[in-house]
Amino acid sequence: MKNVNLLGTFLAGIVMLSGVTGCQHKPVAPTPIPDWAQKSATGDHSQDNGATLPNGNQPSATTETSPVDYAKYGPLFDGPHNEDRDKFKDDTVYFDFDSSTIKPSEEAKLGEIANYFKNNDKFEGLIIEGNCDERGTEKYNLSLGERRALAVREYLHNLGVDDHRLKTVTYGASRPADPGHDESAWRKNRRDEFVLVTPK
Amino acid sequence: MNTQLRRILALFLLGACAVPAMADDVIKIVKPATQLIRVAVTGFSGEAESVLDFDLSVLGMEITTPDKAEFVVAGHSNGRVEGSLTPAGSDHPLWTKGFTGGTTRTQAHALANDIVKEIRQTPPIFLGKIVFRLQEGASTEVCVSDFDGFNPTVVTRDGALVSGPTWIPGGGGLLYTSWKNGDTQILKHNLSTGARSIFAGYPGANFSPEVSPDGQKVAMILSKSGSPNLYVSDIDGGEPRQLTRTRDEDSSPCWGPDSREICFVCRSGRAQLQIISADGGQARPLRLAGVFGNLTSPDWSPDGKQIAFTSGSGSFTICVAPAEGGEAQRLVAGEDPCWAPNSRTIIFCRRANNKRTLCLLDVPTKHVKDIRQLSGNCSEPSWAR
Repeated sequence: MKNVNLLGTFLAGIVMLSGVTGCQHKPVAPTPIPDWAQKSATGDHSQDNGATLPNGNQPSATTETSPVDYAKYGPLFDGPHNEDRDKFKDDTVYFDFDSSTIKPSEEAKLGEIANYFKNNDKFEGLIIEGNCDERGTEKYNLSLGERRALAVREYLHNLGVDDHRLKTVTYGASRPADPGHDESAWRKNRRDEFVLVTPK
Repeated sequence: MNTQLRRILALFLLGACAVPAMADDVIKIVKPATQLIRVAVTGFSGEAESVLDFDLSVLGMEITTPDKAEFVVAGHSNGRVEGSLTPAGSDHPLWTKGFTGGTTRTQAHALANDIVKEIRQTPPIFLGKIVFRLQEGASTEVCVSDFDGFNPTVVTRDGALVSGPTWIPGGGGLLYTSWKNGDTQILKHNLSTGARSIFAGYPGANFSPEVSPDGQKVAMILSKSGSPNLYVSDIDGGEPRQLTRTRDEDSSPCWGPDSREICFVCRSGRAQLQIISADGGQARPLRLAGVFGNLTSPDWSPDGKQIAFTSGSGSFTICVAPAEGGEAQRLVAGEDPCWAPNSRTIIFCRRANNKRTLCLLDVPTKHVKDIRQLSGNCSEPSWAR
């Protein structure tokens, strides 16, 4: 597992140095989301940290197997932590209308975030918040917002950030950055925001 | 006399506005669903009168004076609601009914139910409940009310985001998505006891729950596999089964009336409607003509014949199409349609002046009525059925 991640980091570094930006443009398999509840269901000691689901409703194993080590995912996001919304404020990633494709103009921001995590051995995590403009029905926007967050998660994964440090949340169109109803507002609302999570 | 024969007779007699009621086996004129019916409402006052006027116009009736009416509803609301229904030109009412119990509103709704059953021959809907999302400022809550927006009760007080409230058949409970605990979770809410539990709280997104008409299964969107995909689980919980494995996002599942098929939104290039068996397998596209752009928020009529949905992005249109596919009809501006149990009325959301309100649409006549307005933004309506 670790070797895979190291190799990923190395390759991602090469990608960044050479300025190649193609990794989002070819189809890749969906990245499974770290599944701490599943882990605790198998009796892993991480459940001591309170990461079990309150309803005992345990998810099934999917056919996808995750390439990442889940060990600290649950405690990081579910345990006591601080959330810093300012750290990556300038790195908010914007999207085209009805699209979850990461635009070349946004790639440098994600490179900065990836570098932060790679050069930092403190165990910190990142919440990726997906948002949409108001021009979609609400349930559709929830899916689009999640897809936008997952697109960045995959991108950071490809740059070598460990999956278990990355968590996605969708807000659909419910949290506009600009409450206006024209393109200048919509442009600001089609975005992923980032929250740095630090254990207390 | 069976309904079909009545309809045939009605076609023959089309245009005749007065037919005398005959003893015993009454020949009732059922006008084509697409035509307005002129009805006079006399003798009622206050709340009973306004309820009758509202309810009847929801089902494509035009309230008029007795001399122009095809049917006269005469009665009173002194102490209790009592009324008779008489075809124009007849001396004999088809029936006279009185109601006890409840409130003046519910008695008037009950009378309207009987009138509509007679004239439109559709199942009653006026004592039904709806649930919707109510937004005031930054806070969104789940609100339950009568179908016409009266008697609203806000059932959550979380001060967090909520989305997509939907009924568990039988009316005793709800499922909805809540951000109360930071992430999206699908909560199950018992309306009798107020008890809540987490129905789905997997890593990633958990949203858009819809309970099958038989009350046994729940369709929902989860992203725990790495992409927003369609899952189904038992109403009592247990392992959700993954039905789709697309990389692009899926959304907005709704159930067919037999609880065996699910219609949902799948993106391949643009958002399209697809149908998949609740047991899994290959999804098939719902082939539609006459609509373009993103097709989202489908809702399958309880009689199984039609699927309502929203077309467009930003400027939305409510459309209906045959459930087997074919020519879609574009009806009115609006989004998020939900069928009433009569498979004729739709409640939907309309955006106007930057405010979201709920409206009722009589599909065959395309008549739209606003429900009672609340101070906040109302959206994502779901009709208890």
